[in-house]
Amino acid sequence: MNYFVKGNPDLCIGCRTCMIGCVVAHEGVKIFQMKPGEYVFNPKLDIIKTATITMPVQCKHCENPACMNVCAVGAIQMIDNAVMVLQDKCIGCKTCMIACPYGAINMVVSSDGKKQLDGSERVVANKCDLCTGIDGGPACIRVCPTAALKLVTEEDVETSVSNKRTAAAISLAQVKEY
Amino acid sequence: MGKQVLTTCPYCGSGCQLYLNVENGKIVSSTPANGRTNEGNLCLKGHYGWDYLNDPQILTKRLTKPQIRKNGVLEEVEWDEAINYTAKRLNEIKEKYGPDSIMGTGCARGSGNEANFVMQKFMRAAVGTNNIDHCARVCHAPSVAGLQYSLGSGAMSISIPEIEDTKLLFVIGYNPAESHPIVARRIVKAKQKGAKIIVADPRITETARISDMHLQLKGGSNLALVQAMGNVIIAEGMVDQKFVDDHTLGYEEYKKTVEKYTPEYVESICHLPAETIRQAAREYAKAERAAILWGMGVCQFGQAVDVVKGLASLALLTGNFGGPSMGVGPVRGQNNVQGGCDMGALPNCYSGYQNVTDDAAREKFEKAWGVKLPKENGIPLTQVPHHVLDVKDEKKKLHAYYIFGEDPGQSDPDLNEMREALDKLDFVVMQDIYMNKTGLKADVILPATAWGEHDGVYSSADRGFQRIRKAVEPKGDLKTDWEIICLVSTAMGYPMSYKNTKEIWDEMRSLTPSFFGATYEKIEELGCVQWPCRDESMEDKGTPYLHKGGIFAHPNGKANFFATEWRAPGEIEDVEYPYTLSTVREVGHYSVRTMTGNCRTLTNLEDEPGWIQMSPEDCEKLNLKQGELIRVNSRRGSVMTRVMPTERVKTGATYMTYQWWIGACNELTVPYLDPVSNTPESKYCAINLEKIDDQAWAEKQVKDSYESIRKNMGIDAAEKGCRI
Repeated sequence: MNYFVKGNPDLCIGCRTCMIGCVVAHEGVKIFQMKPGEYVFNPKLDIIKTATITMPVQCKHCENPACMNVCAVGAIQMIDNAVMVLQDKCIGCKTCMIACPYGAINMVVSSDGKKQLDGSERVVANKCDLCTGIDGGPACIRVCPTAALKLVTEEDVETSVSNKRTAAAISLAQVKEY
Repeated sequence: MGKQVLTTCPYCGSGCQLYLNVENGKIVSSTPANGRTNEGNLCLKGHYGWDYLNDPQILTKRLTKPQIRKNGVLEEVEWDEAINYTAKRLNEIKEKYGPDSIMGTGCARGSGNEANFVMQKFMRAAVGTNNIDHCARVCHAPSVAGLQYSLGSGAMSISIPEIEDTKLLFVIGYNPAESHPIVARRIVKAKQKGAKIIVADPRITETARISDMHLQLKGGSNLALVQAMGNVIIAEGMVDQKFVDDHTLGYEEYKKTVEKYTPEYVESICHLPAETIRQAAREYAKAERAAILWGMGVCQFGQAVDVVKGLASLALLTGNFGGPSMGVGPVRGQNNVQGGCDMGALPNCYSGYQNVTDDAAREKFEKAWGVKLPKENGIPLTQVPHHVLDVKDEKKKLHAYYIFGEDPGQSDPDLNEMREALDKLDFVVMQDIYMNKTGLKADVILPATAWGEHDGVYSSADRGFQRIRKAVEPKGDLKTDWEIICLVSTAMGYPMSYKNTKEIWDEMRSLTPSFFGATYEKIEELGCVQWPCRDESMEDKGTPYLHKGGIFAHPNGKANFFATEWRAPGEIEDVEYPYTLSTVREVGHYSVRTMTGNCRTLTNLEDEPGWIQMSPEDCEKLNLKQGELIRVNSRRGSVMTRVMPTERVKTGATYMTYQWWIGACNELTVPYLDPVSNTPESKYCAINLEKIDDQAWAEKQVKDSYESIRKNMGIDAAEKGCRI
């Protein structure tokens, strides 16, 4: 099963530390030595606020990803429990962005510095990659001051399902046959 | 070779501990440390807010050399010239118009407690005036004045870590998620531990969102609500009579005044159902222990001190003092605004809140400093424009202003008036780390070292003394704030010199009984020492909560009740200006943004011209869309900002964050002051909103304004562009 990061609206205070943490993890601390216009700032998650809810929204790393299924060039692949965008292959067609029911994909200027043949910027799909390959795992979880983000793994899901079934058994046992 | 330096975060009063990671003399990142208040957590400013030390020149430019205005133009000079010129001009003005013609500020930000102590000593002993104040005046001065009256001490009675263990939190006019994320964390934890949360705020704040009860009252009605709660507690027999009898004075009078403040009476003032107010009062009164937290939504009103006293009275009625996780929490905004007050950068007291009008205290300081000291209270910060523009008698007017680590040209209300005052003053000294709007009016600029470049002590919002430490060498011809002030003082004929901040701290301690026990060694050893701490021995570890056992800080040990008549805000909406405006905070930015506005990732997240929060209904009525530029006008000024429709605000009310230079809401605010604390009513004024049809033109205006600000601030390369 794919892992995913889940936000908790009861803990989230909407401070957006996670969004900067995401960028710094992906672009590296070298951006603090670069000129302000020379690096890209593309958080892979967003804080959403309604009248009653505040929480981070990011890729669910679906088991049957709509984005992957519609990608015409195979730029989205399932790698090691995560749905990954291969920015090198992405042609910026935006189909995945439209297909994702969670709005977890946006289109951004590519951060690898590569340009199109005419020298103009490459625009590619951008989404949570669970900080694959980055020390310490998902940066959003690490920097959040209220512990409002959590990595959900297969084990967590199994434990949760098993706990719920136990609770269900206890409550169902109280119901008499009818 | 890399090194890690433990220090205190320079943003907000939470007092978070962090490590600065330094490589090749440059800060490359920060790591949360296990501080008393932050327990290994930081918000975005703590994580990424050190970046301004690398001077990326996004909004302004770091000052690197002293400057003197010659023939109208600021010119770089050597330190000797700058110091001697400053001393000469100040002495001339002092001689001609007397010492009270000179005003100075303390600094609630990076400088630290020692520099503030030296500054107030300089103003009092070298200049000979009590005209010293700082930006506490525009924030928690009502809390200091109100609680001083009620309890005998103006600080938070509760500690930040204790918040999570209270049974009920009453949060009024305070949005910790934006102003103190690390305090917000404790509130979230309190909720998780089962505490009830009651929020009184006109907006749906993050705390309101997770609260058990949200009293979405009309702005400017705080006192009516607070007294109605008092009324209910008395009427329903929920008063802790033993506590009231044993520990307080003035209950009968209080009872008489709040008698008419029935929930029904205040319904139309607060726009809240009477039954809701009753329920809130009952919940508060019956909680085993309850704490009240407040911020600018209480303080920045023309009637602020009264509300603070009213809140203290609620806690007294219910016996919510004497133990941990109860009491009152005016949560101080800036990293060291508590310290500025602690050190006596106030017109009425020396360090440790010793009154200048108290003969014994004054004589003690006179003896230590070897000079006669002035007896009269000085001028509060917000009265500076009045004393420059309105006072006609040359001898009673202000002629010089020594502005240390503040930017009144951006942060004070009614900026037009403030700027006019800066123009009219004969002599303006600006001592700072970055060029700012005040600098444009200065006659002398004295460049100082910043947080990260010097040592010292900060006071956190809950009275905690903590060390700040030098991590990197300053770049440029800079001196520490206290060194600069000592040099000016010496040149004026009152010699001052110290070897280091510890020497200053020891002098301060020797004159301040309530801080005497907080030695550098003890702070070093314990990480944090909360005042009062009277004994130098390690036995006295400081005071986590005040008023233990219900013994209050007044000489008689009693607390005072207070109630009075509610007053409406000074400027009410009308046909011409039909909306209300309240200033609020941007979580990723701080104060006038000279620091965070020069941090790369924080400006990536939010940048000029800022937003105006409006209800979706109002947006629809005016045909406004999210992100559209709009003109906001008041009787005092006009600015452009972006529209942010949000269901979290009520129809007719608008909110702007005060950090922006283009969308500078203090161009609009009203200089209507609380009569006791002289704090401005930044939370309420009348405005109108003007749709801009030509959005392309408006976008260009904003872009051009940003470029012109950057040029004025001395940024050489415009090629970096601004992402707006």
